[in-house]
Amino acid sequence: MESMNHGLGVDIAFLLLATLAVVTGWRVFRTDSMVRASFFLLVSFIAVGVIMILLAAEYLGVAMFFMMAVEMTVMALFMVMFMMNPAGLNPMNMVHQERIAIGAGVAGFLVLGAMALLATFPDQPVPAGLEPVRSLGNEMLGDSMLIFESAGLVLLTTMIGVVVLSSHRGRYGAAAEGSMPPGLEPGGDPAGKPEEDEAGEGEHHHHHHHH
Amino acid sequence: MFSELFLPVLMVIFMLVVGGYAVAVLDRLVASALGTPQAGGIWLAPMARGAWLLTQHANATEAPDWRAWRLAPALYLALAAGGLAVVPWSASLVATDLVTSVVLWGSVEALATVVIFLHGWSANSLLALIGGYRYVALGLSYILISMFVLIGVALPAESLQFTQVVASQEGLWNVIRQPLGLPLFLIVGLGMTFWGPLNLADSTDLAGGTAAEISGPPRLVWDMARAAMLVAFSGVAATAFLGGWLGPWLPGLLWMSLKMLAVLSVLLLLGRLLPRLAPERCVTLMWVVLLPLSFIDLVWAGIGALL
Amino acid sequence: MAVNWLHKFAVRGRVPVFPVLGKQGDGVLQHLALSPRIELVDSPRHASVLLVAGEVPADRFEPLRRVHDQLPYPFTTLWFRSEPWPHLERVARIDDLDDLPGALVTAHRELMEGRRGSAHRLLPDEPPNPWEGEGDFGQGGEGMMGGVPYGRPMAMNMENDIRDGLTLDSLTFRLGPFFFAFPPGMAAEITLQGDLVQTWQTQLTPYPQPLDEVFFDARQRPVPIAEVELARARHHLHRLFHALHLAGLENVSLRTLRLAHGLSASSTLDGLRRALSRRGFFRLTAGGGVLGPEQARMIGGPAARAAGLDDDLRAEDAGYRRLGFSPVCQTAGDTHARWRQLLDEIDQSLHLARLAERDRVHTERTGSVETPRGPWSARRPADASALFDELLPGLEWGDALATVASLDVAGLADQPVGTRPSGESRAVRGGTGNDV
Repeated sequence: MESMNHGLGVDIAFLLLATLAVVTGWRVFRTDSMVRASFFLLVSFIAVGVIMILLAAEYLGVAMFFMMAVEMTVMALFMVMFMMNPAGLNPMNMVHQERIAIGAGVAGFLVLGAMALLATFPDQPVPAGLEPVRSLGNEMLGDSMLIFESAGLVLLTTMIGVVVLSSHRGRYGAAAEGSMPPGLEPGGDPAGKPEEDEAGEGEHHHHHHHH
Repeated sequence: MFSELFLPVLMVIFMLVVGGYAVAVLDRLVASALGTPQAGGIWLAPMARGAWLLTQHANATEAPDWRAWRLAPALYLALAAGGLAVVPWSASLVATDLVTSVVLWGSVEALATVVIFLHGWSANSLLALIGGYRYVALGLSYILISMFVLIGVALPAESLQFTQVVASQEGLWNVIRQPLGLPLFLIVGLGMTFWGPLNLADSTDLAGGTAAEISGPPRLVWDMARAAMLVAFSGVAATAFLGGWLGPWLPGLLWMSLKMLAVLSVLLLLGRLLPRLAPERCVTLMWVVLLPLSFIDLVWAGIGALL
Repeated sequence: MAVNWLHKFAVRGRVPVFPVLGKQGDGVLQHLALSPRIELVDSPRHASVLLVAGEVPADRFEPLRRVHDQLPYPFTTLWFRSEPWPHLERVARIDDLDDLPGALVTAHRELMEGRRGSAHRLLPDEPPNPWEGEGDFGQGGEGMMGGVPYGRPMAMNMENDIRDGLTLDSLTFRLGPFFFAFPPGMAAEITLQGDLVQTWQTQLTPYPQPLDEVFFDARQRPVPIAEVELARARHHLHRLFHALHLAGLENVSLRTLRLAHGLSASSTLDGLRRALSRRGFFRLTAGGGVLGPEQARMIGGPAARAAGLDDDLRAEDAGYRRLGFSPVCQTAGDTHARWRQLLDEIDQSLHLARLAERDRVHTERTGSVETPRGPWSARRPADASALFDELLPGLEWGDALATVASLDVAGLADQPVGTRPSGESRAVRGGTGNDV
């Protein structure tokens, strides 16, 4: 509404939100749980989203909320599921390959900081009657309509495909009956299951001890 | 300053309190009509329960994530407040008339998934955790269906603003224009607020699910937040499909309240009538039946907008 | 004072009671569920009064102490037909079922009005396993994770998932013996992956369940068939009540209970049956748990007949034959089939009771009787909870609990309902007070 003649309130809000974004971003690496790390990152993104709303990019800001919410939830859950950490409740170290990460972080900060300080930004006041949502829609769907629509369709097909593949009626028959991937050659052993062998041997070994 | 900042805040707080109380009373009315006796008077019982929860201590579990555990109910209440803030009561009476209010409601739905999961996870307790897992697994499908249905009502309005959505229904309400929309949205609403047949997060087979381990004031806040979310949801349903404040003779505010009460009653009645769906059946229902139906609804809305 | 006013107001609500069931304790549930002032809750966190109903055997004292300590302050306890532990302060014992709702309401009121102090914790407030964290983040061992902080190992020694081959995070825990959805007294160690049951080991078998006296009499002498069949129908209705609560159909479950309370030969099941099928109880709710023929034979009774076996001792009784009795069966053998079977059997029992009452028919065969739990000829129907260990893995949590509710696994007690189990005086000195 009063995007140009912003008041003191907007400045204070920006500073608070920027601090929140940075602090929670830092906490991501200092916490000891995958779930907490994901949701600290979410808080950081939400703070950035509100800053975008302050910058009159209303649609992008609000879209950030729901995109990041779903994204972080899925990320947290998948990490918990695959990390074998019971429900993500055991503490764990959230950083690895620290040297590379620190190097990349410092380099990224320097480049972005230099851009912020050295680049000359255009100074065009937003026209009074601008409708951000409409203009964003025109920008995205004016010339690039075909690309966006086909990308959307591909994504949708992928989604449905994933659901079909992961459903009970799996690729190799009903999943409830124990699915087996086919062999690499016709009639060969199931592909990609080396652990099965080891487990079988271990059990044999165990039996021998008993006798 | 007062009318810009404090009036909307006061309005939302008023709605949180009155709406939450209305849900509690309506639900008891429905229950007693269906043959479950209610002791202590239907009008006083919600307050007596609230008083009891205030006198009870908040308990502890073994090594919970304290911050997330205590914050989750409050955050859920805040999300319900965010949802109520974008519901227009009349052409001029709306707490925040964002141009992207439909998208904001979508973010409320998505963030609710996070908060419900955190509520279940942070208690560090088994049944609560399963409740949280379940909600995430199902919540994504609720969000998708709800988004498609809401895009359907944004099309004729050519706007993502709820006030415009209402204005576009001047001639014909969306409930008739897009007949699939409201039923789909109501079913999804039961899921999103995990109420009745779709209460899989706080269900009886989990002894209360994400709320199985809470007591005292946090439980009161959680219950209030759930009721308020149901109110916010029925507000959005009335706005998107039943023409919001539109209607003859009566003032807009009254029309809106009546429509919300109608939606609430339907939801609460369904909640008391139907048994809880098995989670697996719920997933199948969402992905195999309702999601394709929401595509049809969207195509229907698109064709309607083109013609 | 505001706080005082709040407490006074809190008294006016329903009294949230968490029942801990001892032997012969589950009868109180059916009584209390119909009392409008009492709200039976499923989690101890949601209760104000802990009700210990029936004698809790000594091997379940430790879990009882833990449940006791889970109630949030302020709370109080009430012991029904069970001797309170001597070191508990000011606990009341009630023996008369009719006094129980009033006593619960009084206990809650006194608690709220400050006339009765809250109960105290029995166990020290410390984690059950010591902290064994190591490393910068307490992760325990080397690298990103490892070690057993709080005795909880990483889920590295994974079993393959039994459904789709994905090996994901799994969680092992113990549940029971006071979990509301289990048969009274049962406890199990369960491994879940997400909400899929990976393994199930029943660790404490449910208490033997007492039956109506008429089934005991029927083994000694001819008894009126009407009486036997009404007792059978009542037993089944009580089980249906429990399952409907689990399925979230609160009002129908209360209706079932009311039907059971006022049951007579002229009662009819039509309304209840219609309500159940109209509301989708057989289509929407959790199910599964298909019994194989061997498993069906092991448990016997209605569950076996729901799986297609037509064994029923009543078919061998001349009295029943005169009434035109022949066993009813289902074929599917799953949870929903068991409930359909139970409804059919209740219907059949009511029908038989009507005929038998009119013609005053008595049973003729003694020495054996078809109880609602299964055939009782030479041996009493024994505990079949080991069945769960093979039946439940592979089911989702909701399906698993629905299956548990649909199977009447507890063995028969050696005495009918209402009589005091022998040896009660022996077991009352349970809590020694050492651990307070």
